[in-house]
Amino acid sequence: MRTRIFHLFCFTVCLAVPSFALVQEGHPLTGTWSGDWGPAATQRNHLTIVMNWDGKNVTGMINPGPDAIPLGSVFLDVTNWTIRIEADTKDPSGSPAHITAEGKLDDIGSYHRKITGSWRQGTAKGDFRITRD
Amino acid sequence: MKTIRTMLPAVLLTIVFAASSLLSQRNFSTTYDSGRQVKLQGIVTRIDWVNPNAYFFIDTKDAAGTTTNWAIQFGNPLELERSGWKRSALRIGDAVTVEGTPARGTTRQVFAKSAVLTRTGKRLFTVSAAPRAAAPAAPAPRWPDGQIRLGPPPGKKGYWGTASTKVLVENSAGKVAMTEDGLLLNITDVDKVAPFQPWAKALYEYRQRHLLKDDPLARCLPPGGPRQFLTSNGFQFIEQRELGRILVLLGGGDRNWRIIYTDRRPVGQPAEQVPSYFGSSVAHWEKDTLVVDSVGFNEKFWLAPGGLPHTEALHLVERFTRTDLNTLKYEVTIDDPRTYTRTWTGGWTIQWVPDQEIQEYFCEDNAESTFVR
Repeated sequence: MRTRIFHLFCFTVCLAVPSFALVQEGHPLTGTWSGDWGPAATQRNHLTIVMNWDGKNVTGMINPGPDAIPLGSVFLDVTNWTIRIEADTKDPSGSPAHITAEGKLDDIGSYHRKITGSWRQGTAKGDFRITRD
Repeated sequence: MKTIRTMLPAVLLTIVFAASSLLSQRNFSTTYDSGRQVKLQGIVTRIDWVNPNAYFFIDTKDAAGTTTNWAIQFGNPLELERSGWKRSALRIGDAVTVEGTPARGTTRQVFAKSAVLTRTGKRLFTVSAAPRAAAPAAPAPRWPDGQIRLGPPPGKKGYWGTASTKVLVENSAGKVAMTEDGLLLNITDVDKVAPFQPWAKALYEYRQRHLLKDDPLARCLPPGGPRQFLTSNGFQFIEQRELGRILVLLGGGDRNWRIIYTDRRPVGQPAEQVPSYFGSSVAHWEKDTLVVDSVGFNEKFWLAPGGLPHTEALHLVERFTRTDLNTLKYEVTIDDPRTYTRTWTGGWTIQWVPDQEIQEYFCEDNAESTFVR
C-alpha cells in the first residue's frame, strides 16, 4: 500500500513539475500543443501540434513522428487572437486531404493556454481543442 | 467636488507609486483595487514578518457581531527595517485601525496606507520615501592596475541599490508615464516603449490590460535580463579576477546569482546554449566601461516590469560604467529580431549603498500569504 502511495506521489510530482518548467512567455504559439479533433464528442482523434515562431513565420508540424504532417501555413491575427492553420496530408486511402483549422487562442498568459475552433480534414468536419503542454 | 475630481487621479497614482515601492514581487495593480478605500478596526491575531511582503491579520466585528479575519499587507520587511521598524512594534492582541486599499474581488485583504495602534495612537510602519544616504562624493575606486572596481573600495562594504527608474523603455522615447510596476498610464503610449513586432505589441497590450496578472516574477521566477537590475533589494558584483569572472549576486528575485566571464572566451552561439534565465555572458573592458555580451536566454521571464516579451533569439549587450563611487550607469541594447523590428537601447543609473550588505530575501517566504481568503 505504501509503495502504491509512493508511486502515486511520484507520478503526481512528475506531472506537476514539467507544467511549471515549461512556462513560455515569448511568442504565444511557440511550443507543443496537444488535444484532439473530431466530428463529435465520442469520435475524437489525438492531435499534437508543434509550432515555432522564427521571426517571420510560424512553422511546425502536426503529429510529429513517421506520419508527421508539415504545417503549410499558420496565420495569427493578433487583433483578436484568432489562428488559421493549413496543411496537406493524405486520407487512409492515400488521396490528398487538405486540413484547415480555424480557432481562437484563449488565456494567453497562462502556462496552459488553449486553442479551440473548427477542424476540416478532407471531407471530414469537426471541432478541435488543444492546450499548450 | 471639482477639486476632488481633479485630485483623484493624482491621489490614486500616489498610492500606486507608494505601494509599488513596497511590493517586491506581486504587482500592486494585479492584487489591489486602487479605486476603493476601506477603514477597518480590529484585533491583531497573527504577524508574518517575512519577505517579500509583511502581513498582519486582524479580526473585525460587524454590527451583528460576526467576526471576520482580514490580511493586512503593510510593506516589505527589508524596507521597514531600513526605516527602523521591528516586528515587535505590533503584538498579537493589539487593537489597530487600518486604512487602505482593498484587494480586488471579495478577497479579505488590504494594502495598508496607515495602521494606527489604538493604545498609543501611534502610526506604525511608515517608510521614508527619501533616498538612502549616499557615501560622500568620491572618484570610482580602482584596482592597482587602474581598472575600475565594480564593488566596494578596499576594506569597505556596500552594494548597488536603487535604480533611477523601475521600468525599461527605449531611450529615444522620452518620458513615458508608467506606474512603478510597469503599467502604462496611457495605453496609447505603447509604441513609445519599444519597437515591437505586431504580435509582441499585442501581447504587451494584453498583459497591460490584464494588469500584469501573469507576471512570472509574481510567481517567484528569477528576474532575467535587465530586470535583475530593477529589483528593490539591489545587487553586488564580486570580481574574481584570478578566475576570470565576475559574480553578480542579486538581492531581489530569489537570491539568484549570475556569472559574467572575463577570461576572453568567445561569445557562445544561441544554438549551442541551454537556454537559461540569465543567459551566457562574456565581458570585456572598453576603457572604464564593462561591456557584457549575453545570449542563451530562455523565454520564461519578462525583460522588465510591464510585460516586455522576448524570444530565445534574444541577444543583450549591457554596458556598466561606474562614473564615481556612488553612481553606476547601466545601458542595455536589446537585439531580438523575432520580437522587435530593430535593436533598441534603454538604461538607467543605480546608486551605491555604502557600508551595508545585501540582506536576506526569499520571494517564496510568505507565498502562503498570497492567498485567496
